[in-house]
Amino acid sequence: MSILGLELRRSAAAGAALLALAVGVAALYLIPGRWSEGWMPLVLTSKEYLILLWPLALAAGAWQGRREHRAKVGELFATTPRSRARRMLPVLVAMGATLGLAYLLVLVAGGVRIASTASYFPPDVVVIVLVGVLSLVAAAWLGLGLGRLLPALVTAPVLAVAGVLLVFFTAIMRPWWLGAVLSPVYGSSMWYPFQTIDSGVTGALAIWMGGLALAGVLLLVGGSPRARVAAVLPVLLGLGVATAIVPRDKAALLAPVDPVARELVCTDDAPKVCVTRVHANVLESVTPLAREGLAVLAKLPGAPTEVHEYARAIDEENPAVRDDVVVINVRIDDRGGLALPDVVVLEVVSGLGVGYTGDCPRDPAVERAAAYHLLGREPVSDLELYPEMIWEEPELNAEAVALWQDLQELPPAEALSRVAAVRAAILACQDSTGLLSR
Amino acid sequence: MRTVSTAETAATIHPWAIHAQALRVRAGRHLAVDGLDLSLGTGVHGLLGPNGAGKTTLIRALATVAKPAGGKLTLLGTPVDGRADLRPARRALGYLPQHFGFYPRFTVREFVAYMAWLKEMPKADVPAATQRAIDRVGLAAKADARLKTLSGGMLRRAGIAQAIVNDPQLLLLDEPTVGLDPEQRLDLRELLRDLGTDACVLVSTHLVEDVVAACTDVVLVNEGRLLWQGAPEALGAQGDAGHPGDSPAERGYSALLRRHRAEATR
Amino acid sequence: MMLHLRARRVPLALAASVGAAALIWALWLIFSDNRDSAALIVVLTIALMVSALSPTLAGPDEDLERAAALRWPRQRALHLLAAVAVVVVVLLATLLTGARFGPATLVLGTTAGLVGLTAACATVVGAARSWFLPLGWTVVAALFPQSSGTWGVLATWQSQPHTNGLAATVAAVLAVGGLATYAIFGAARSATADQ
Repeated sequence: MSILGLELRRSAAAGAALLALAVGVAALYLIPGRWSEGWMPLVLTSKEYLILLWPLALAAGAWQGRREHRAKVGELFATTPRSRARRMLPVLVAMGATLGLAYLLVLVAGGVRIASTASYFPPDVVVIVLVGVLSLVAAAWLGLGLGRLLPALVTAPVLAVAGVLLVFFTAIMRPWWLGAVLSPVYGSSMWYPFQTIDSGVTGALAIWMGGLALAGVLLLVGGSPRARVAAVLPVLLGLGVATAIVPRDKAALLAPVDPVARELVCTDDAPKVCVTRVHANVLESVTPLAREGLAVLAKLPGAPTEVHEYARAIDEENPAVRDDVVVINVRIDDRGGLALPDVVVLEVVSGLGVGYTGDCPRDPAVERAAAYHLLGREPVSDLELYPEMIWEEPELNAEAVALWQDLQELPPAEALSRVAAVRAAILACQDSTGLLSR
Repeated sequence: MRTVSTAETAATIHPWAIHAQALRVRAGRHLAVDGLDLSLGTGVHGLLGPNGAGKTTLIRALATVAKPAGGKLTLLGTPVDGRADLRPARRALGYLPQHFGFYPRFTVREFVAYMAWLKEMPKADVPAATQRAIDRVGLAAKADARLKTLSGGMLRRAGIAQAIVNDPQLLLLDEPTVGLDPEQRLDLRELLRDLGTDACVLVSTHLVEDVVAACTDVVLVNEGRLLWQGAPEALGAQGDAGHPGDSPAERGYSALLRRHRAEATR
Repeated sequence: MMLHLRARRVPLALAASVGAAALIWALWLIFSDNRDSAALIVVLTIALMVSALSPTLAGPDEDLERAAALRWPRQRALHLLAAVAVVVVVLLATLLTGARFGPATLVLGTTAGLVGLTAACATVVGAARSWFLPLGWTVVAALFPQSSGTWGVLATWQSQPHTNGLAATVAAVLAVGGLATYAIFGAARSATADQ
């Protein structure tokens, strides 16, 4: 019979891998909205959950590593010709392969949900996933080595907690570049759009993990105390090389942006509607709604003719306001499709198609009344429509409704000219208060 | 009968399977084997001696677990002291320690096959050899039961199975009859006699009647040295009715020990 | 009594448990400016201390011990109470130091609940593996505490403040239920106590 098959059946490998798979899939599917947007969010979220899986692999390795001591087979095995290194090979392969495979299957489980909707596949995804697999293999092998070195029952739980604390605190430590080298979850919590992980950071992590893996193998296979002390060398070497190649500039370390992801993908015909490449799969759903919004705005003179998605990356300057382009947010639901389709038209029309830059005076009540006049319905508070809004001035909607009712009493041409005046004022960066009620 | 490889049918250049000269082996800080001279060839040899005589340490040294502190030790013609390569000797070795450690989740077949792999048996031979070893110790019915479900006696027999799976030329058994019922002991004696026809088997035991029944040769050690070596009948002739014991062999054993202790105090 | 403790490898377990707490305490003292330790650290330290003590829940030969004429349910209950006491006393002692592991109610509730859960697990899978579920659950609860939603609070009871009645109930149920189960049934037997 195959010895590898024997180890797969009788060691902790299968159990640990199944547990890792269960934990990973459960964690992912508890909040699918975090990663339904595309492949990079899926990969980053899975990487974030390594905070659970890495210590699990480490503890599983430690549990398995004490097997020879626990079973007291040392005496018997010492009389056999096969070297310790060759004897340990099946266990190393079994633990490493099953845990690595478990991680890949977690990603596959997430991938099946987004495969039909996520159109943009950045090549960085492959590297990040592979280094994630390497991290788990390194944890398992390091655990095996430490479990053999310290075969007490208490080793596995101590390593589990130590692993959690290590992964967590290295991810948030200063200096950032050291955290990027040491932590398998560095850079994985998503807090801005078009997020990615710099390939230098991924490479540095890979080298550190490689050092840990090698140290684990040396501890497991080493015969003499000298060989076990030698296990420190790959750790130091890995740390040294990794810190040498990890990028030190803030942009790459703290907020790396994927430039391809934010390129705009547009419709071929007019009026043009563009979304970012990462959302390209919802272009078809957004286009009719955006064009509906443009049609509403078309009643005004000098109306915008294009709708673009907001594509500003972090740390970038605010783009200049163009009077022929409406900029909107495109939201993705937890199935990968367009979220809140009812709100798209409103978003095109609100602010009369002019985006906020922060330096111009804006009157939200006036703008809301004007926008809803064009839409032909009574103003409604934003709190009910946008899930990310958590506070609105309590009097705002009442004021907007009052202004809107006044507009309804005017003759249509007069009302429209006042609305056009509001838009002209906004474009000229002037205060629009009172323009509706003169 | 063992299946014999071509390497073995080549002229055996070693007259003795085990050849120890002034062997010294430490157990901790204590010199458990102190100047032992021993020559053993094919056959079943019983190793007798009081507790603390160095029997287990001697067996461990012969099994290449314990490194000799001095003297010469040659197994199957290859020296195993100093910095010699132990692998050729270990391939032809079978060992059952006194405290048999095992993997409880493995089945009997899996464990014996694992040991066969550890002894670097050719992969193609392993399944047949495993089955044969399991059959010879009478565990065929339990071959696919996990080791943790076996009783003490069956576990011991599983230990013997792993020791003989590679058809060793040198078989070392430390207390193999512990936990066996009388019928199983008889089966083991039969097995030992069979094994002793073309291998060197060294059995360390306290049960004198097992030695008399199965062994062709008795080795008596005390305080780390060889006390007496000879046939079981000759052991019986060493004692008379005046010595303690319920059988001639036991009386011979006590006689030899008493004589040795008397000489030591002189 | 001393022999019993030695047979159960209590000294080593105590050393590991207290040593681990001391190490984490020292690390917090050195690396953090905050006097109060983060809840994540406190909860994980409790779980680790309880896990380090879990091998003492069974002796090397359960059958031999059961044949003895002691009143085992009472013995086992006392054993659990002693475990809770060790963890609570050690951690509450840190309240006097520069790195405080508290609040006391969190320590007491989480320790009692985890000891009970570990004891109940020992009844099913044996002392050696009894820490799998409690430690695993606590790691998840400590890293992702949920402050809202009934199921969320139930699932992360270890991290909830003492004001949360639901979490306190869970802790109490686990403590009492685990104590009763372990006192009545004792640890599960396995091939050797180390498996």
